[in-house]
Amino acid sequence: MKNLDFAADKALAKDFLNNFADANGEPKYLTLLQDVANRRTRSVQIELDDLFNYKDLDEEFLQRVTENTRRYISIFAEAVDELMPEPTELFSAEDDHDILMTQRAEDMTDNADNSDPFRRMPPDIKRFFEVYIKAFSKGTPLTIRQVKASNIGQLVKISGIVTRCSDVKPLMQVAVYTCEECGFEIYQEVTARVFMPLYECPSVRCKTNNTKGNLILQLRASKFLKFQEAKIQELSEHVPKGHIPRSLTVHLRGELTRKVAPGDVVELSGIFLPIPYTGFRAMRAGLIADTYLEIMSVTHFKKKYEDYELSEDEQKQIEGLAEDGDIYNKLARSLAPEIFGHEDVKKALLLLLVGAPHRKLSDGMKIRGDLHICLMGDPGVAKSQLLKHIINVAPRGVYTTGRGSSGVGLTAAVQRDPVTNEMILEGGALVLADMGICAIDEFDKMEESDRTAIHEVMEQQTVSIAKAGITTSLNARTAVLAAANPAWGRYDLRRSPAENINLPPALLSRFDLLWLILDKADMDTDLEMARHVVHVHQNLESPSLGFTPLEPSVLRAYISTARRTSPSVPRELEEYIATAYSSIRQEEAKSSAPHSYTTVRTLLSILRISIALARLRFSAAVAQSDVDEALRLMQMSKFSLYSEDRQRSGLDAISDIYSILRDEAARSNRLDVSYAHALNWISRKGYSEAQLKECLEEYASLNVWQIHPNTFDIRFIDA
Amino acid sequence: MVGLPYDCVANPHGAVRLTFEKAVAASQDADSVAALCGKDWGAVDLFRKFLFEEDGLSKVPILNKSSLPWIKPNTLVRFRGMVQDMLGNELYIGAFKDGSTWRTNKFTDVACRPIPSSCQSFLWERRLFVCVPVPGHNSWILDAAPQVVHNNYDTGDASQHGDKRMRDASHDAMELNVLDEMDSSCSKKQREDEHIFQPCQSLVGEAVLQGGMLENRNNLEESSFSCLVKAYDLPESHLKLNDVFEFIGIYTFDPELVHANDTDDSSFDLMEDVSNQLPPNKVPRLHCLVSRKLAVQDFLSGSLALQPLPNVMSDIRESLLVHLSALLGNDTVAAQFLLLHLLSRVRRTVDVIAVGKLSLNLTGFNRESASVFGNQLNSIIMELFPFSKVIPLSVEYLNNAVLQPRKDNQSGRLVTGMLQLAEGTHLTIDETHLQAGVLNSVGVENARLLKNLMEWQTVQYDFEYYKIEMATDIQMLVFSEGKSNILPADMILPFRPEFFVSVKKASTKELQAWRWYLATVRSLHYSNGPQVQQMLEDEIVAAMREDRSLGYKDLERVLIMAQLLSASLGERSVSLEQWQKAKELEKLRKERLR
Repeated sequence: MKNLDFAADKALAKDFLNNFADANGEPKYLTLLQDVANRRTRSVQIELDDLFNYKDLDEEFLQRVTENTRRYISIFAEAVDELMPEPTELFSAEDDHDILMTQRAEDMTDNADNSDPFRRMPPDIKRFFEVYIKAFSKGTPLTIRQVKASNIGQLVKISGIVTRCSDVKPLMQVAVYTCEECGFEIYQEVTARVFMPLYECPSVRCKTNNTKGNLILQLRASKFLKFQEAKIQELSEHVPKGHIPRSLTVHLRGELTRKVAPGDVVELSGIFLPIPYTGFRAMRAGLIADTYLEIMSVTHFKKKYEDYELSEDEQKQIEGLAEDGDIYNKLARSLAPEIFGHEDVKKALLLLLVGAPHRKLSDGMKIRGDLHICLMGDPGVAKSQLLKHIINVAPRGVYTTGRGSSGVGLTAAVQRDPVTNEMILEGGALVLADMGICAIDEFDKMEESDRTAIHEVMEQQTVSIAKAGITTSLNARTAVLAAANPAWGRYDLRRSPAENINLPPALLSRFDLLWLILDKADMDTDLEMARHVVHVHQNLESPSLGFTPLEPSVLRAYISTARRTSPSVPRELEEYIATAYSSIRQEEAKSSAPHSYTTVRTLLSILRISIALARLRFSAAVAQSDVDEALRLMQMSKFSLYSEDRQRSGLDAISDIYSILRDEAARSNRLDVSYAHALNWISRKGYSEAQLKECLEEYASLNVWQIHPNTFDIRFIDA
Repeated sequence: MVGLPYDCVANPHGAVRLTFEKAVAASQDADSVAALCGKDWGAVDLFRKFLFEEDGLSKVPILNKSSLPWIKPNTLVRFRGMVQDMLGNELYIGAFKDGSTWRTNKFTDVACRPIPSSCQSFLWERRLFVCVPVPGHNSWILDAAPQVVHNNYDTGDASQHGDKRMRDASHDAMELNVLDEMDSSCSKKQREDEHIFQPCQSLVGEAVLQGGMLENRNNLEESSFSCLVKAYDLPESHLKLNDVFEFIGIYTFDPELVHANDTDDSSFDLMEDVSNQLPPNKVPRLHCLVSRKLAVQDFLSGSLALQPLPNVMSDIRESLLVHLSALLGNDTVAAQFLLLHLLSRVRRTVDVIAVGKLSLNLTGFNRESASVFGNQLNSIIMELFPFSKVIPLSVEYLNNAVLQPRKDNQSGRLVTGMLQLAEGTHLTIDETHLQAGVLNSVGVENARLLKNLMEWQTVQYDFEYYKIEMATDIQMLVFSEGKSNILPADMILPFRPEFFVSVKKASTKELQAWRWYLATVRSLHYSNGPQVQQMLEDEIVAAMREDRSLGYKDLERVLIMAQLLSASLGERSVSLEQWQKAKELEKLRKERLR
């Protein structure tokens, strides 16, 4: 054991409190102490971050503070005692404690026999503050599993979920007695949970008189602390496979009590301490020590994207990813990597996670930024799996089914509280997912009452209720991700899509993207499936995906960073979007049986998807490529519904591409079409680059156009 | 073992102490003891040598309910069981300086001599597990376990000691009966302590049997015995929940510890004391020295010396098949499917798919035939598998049974459920008892659990604020009238018995051969060469061309069947012949379904 010089450390602590200046140059702790002196606050929180950033940092001192925290709390408290300024404000109504203190102070000066150790006032009783030392805010917290015997006495930071809380109880900090004989106040500091009360007056006067003065405990004069016990459990993601979560007892004192409730996910910093058994148990079972965490700070986990704090590693990783050109595809593929294919669906889901910013116009009108997506399809095409995965990635997500388990349903309900018999308003899944994502499985099997309310949720993003004397409107700013089965269990290709989808058009039009996932088979997928089955059984692992999917945590971090930007639509693109919109309208007017209703909502959807795409690039402005991709996605989603329609129209892909290119060229009245433009046009209609190339070759051989050998630009040969 | 200053079986602590002193003496520097933290100083090696090289294993008695009364504390015992709950770490004073000599408290609950009030000491940690006999274990595995002669123990001392515990146990049993309705373990402790000195000898007889009842008052009739294992220096991944392990270690029991709780200051609301939950007089403590994971082979009696030669394998296969088809009323197709089902196991969970599972649903039962054939099947399964369970599925059962293991945050314990089962357990579900009725919320949840178990081989454990999926390997066999909709099995086969004959019981020798056969085939590692892989791919594509309706699941099933058919002959690789045979079987099955 080294000889530690606590007096020198106290000087260091004092120096730090005196001279520390925060980023703005303010003397942070002196201001804090002034507040304490003015009785505005009780807690003096010393942050290790500050200690670390302190200009005259003594690294060894910092180390000592982290490793022997409890000792240094009292050192800091003593330092604070010495630095405590005079109150600058008058505070009204002196309480009992103040009166007692003034009296005691007078007593002290009257009496000369300060040599008596029991009569010396313990510093705790004079204090109006509590000192806490908060661990570094950077750095990942430990899991409960990682807290080992070697951490005893140290300041550790852990994360977990609160499972139980005790009542807040008073804990005696300083017991005060008065002696019947000599009338002196005797103080006893209580450091443990249990203490042995004094019965005999230990004062010098009683001793010399040999009177054995009877002591009476003075509850009003004693000092109590609020005290609460809680139990925290490991978070499910920290539990290794095949293990069960560990738990740990934590002690909360003073101002930190009533900060947590069961179910809260928290990050705590505290001192890991053993409790030695006392009394009889110590003799028998003295070998074992219970441990607990003396809490120094409580931080509730932020569940909103906007508050997500990135660690340094994550920051770097995201910067690296952002430079990667293919980030859009990469992120999309990393969603539910175990589900094969469905790339466009995954892209749409990625955009749902990213979303667009909410807009509030100057006249008070709100335009929603959340994207709504509905997946439809045969049973067993992994819809639910996709939904669950998305919820897993989203920091705030609620997964529920159309027939939600509680009586509240999806929106909100007025219910009678079984205990108090009062009417209470209870929010359903959509309200709980406010500022997050609500995944609703079996959307078509929704309760009738929800079906009416969900219209409001999806466009106005509020839930209004006027029942049983309660009239209110709850926020439900949530992106809805719905999955529905076709009306007859399986998708019936002979019937029209509208018949297959068992939802009213008014509800359907509120979805930005609708996707039909069918269980279709062709040669390629057959072979792919055969290979997959054999590979899984052969090697007992999934075939490699050809890429390493990004971890959900990285995805989450990337998305939350993306959500911070709020891109705008540049003026020159407005025209472009407008033409695209009007051409969709015209096409629809031309077709004999319009499948969809292109409305202003569609236009808003295009904007929303484009903005989400721009956000993914961390760009402040929407680019034309974003709009093209948005249009392509919308087209693909339509094709997923009406693909057989395309075949029926008699046009094969190649000739369709040709007609698209010709129409576009005719419209712009030009004979030259650049390859990039051509690719843009056809991808909007849902064709691939390979198909374009095929088309180019085929028609070039017919001498319809000439293809530039290097750039693939097209020049029509005018007849 | 002449010349050794200690006896590994009777005085293991002596060996621990001796090696410790040696280790301390060997290293000269001041921090010698600190360096010993978290590792073994030679004691475990010593025991390993004694157990496995000097054939000491057979001298170590097995700790179970019947042997508990006569086993002396602080002796070496072994215990076979399943890890039911993991309690986390316990910190203890691992080493302390008594005067000038260092002493250790490893592998013990009580210090060998009182710890001086202020002395240099080290806090070490150990892990606590609650272990129970494997749920659903069949009686033959106990017979197969080697018996230990225990004449050489000082019976006088042991019986005296046992007496004391019997008294305690009987007392507790009485208390439990009284308190069954009150269900508050806290007040129970108080009362137990108040009345503990009242003699109540009259109750001893049968009450002892109930004495071990735990908080988990489920229908786990045989699991009423449990053991608290304290493990040292194990890597985190060594043990998993529901693993079947053999622990060899020191059994400790200190009668004085039993009632040490009376000074318990109740001010600690949330401090769970393990001994409150698991009183030492009911739950023995075992300080583990050596532990090993048990496979099915470890439960077979060693007398059988069979080689996995092809002809041996096919002979045994044939005799088992004949027996099974006789049990099934000469339905040879059903017998073949049943054999494949019995041979299946989850080889690994890939993403969400449990590869290798092959659950079977025999349909076409009515209540009578279920009782006739079902009972015969159940009894043979009990004879063949080390662990097996039968669930008679009915509406009342679904509504009332506790299937899901659940964490009780009040007591900090994992309350077991019916579905907390060890790997390789066979589960038979008899659906013929099911009638129309209303399921309550428990029933719906239970049905969902069973379905998830069937489809994904996972059981969701409830930790109140979140749920954790635990992967399992449970073979599931369903009897039902029609196709079971609650439990979608991999193979559905209408059962068509020709006649019913009561089959004579198989001889012990046959049973032993079959057990060995099942265990061997199931532990076989498959390895298909690239040609075989190519052949299978081509075959699958061809099969899909033939029948467009084939899905992933169908293909997977045929592949598993082909693999199991090959394995059933002791082959490691699938042959084209077996693939064709699997397809043939599948065709027979489809014909029946029509």
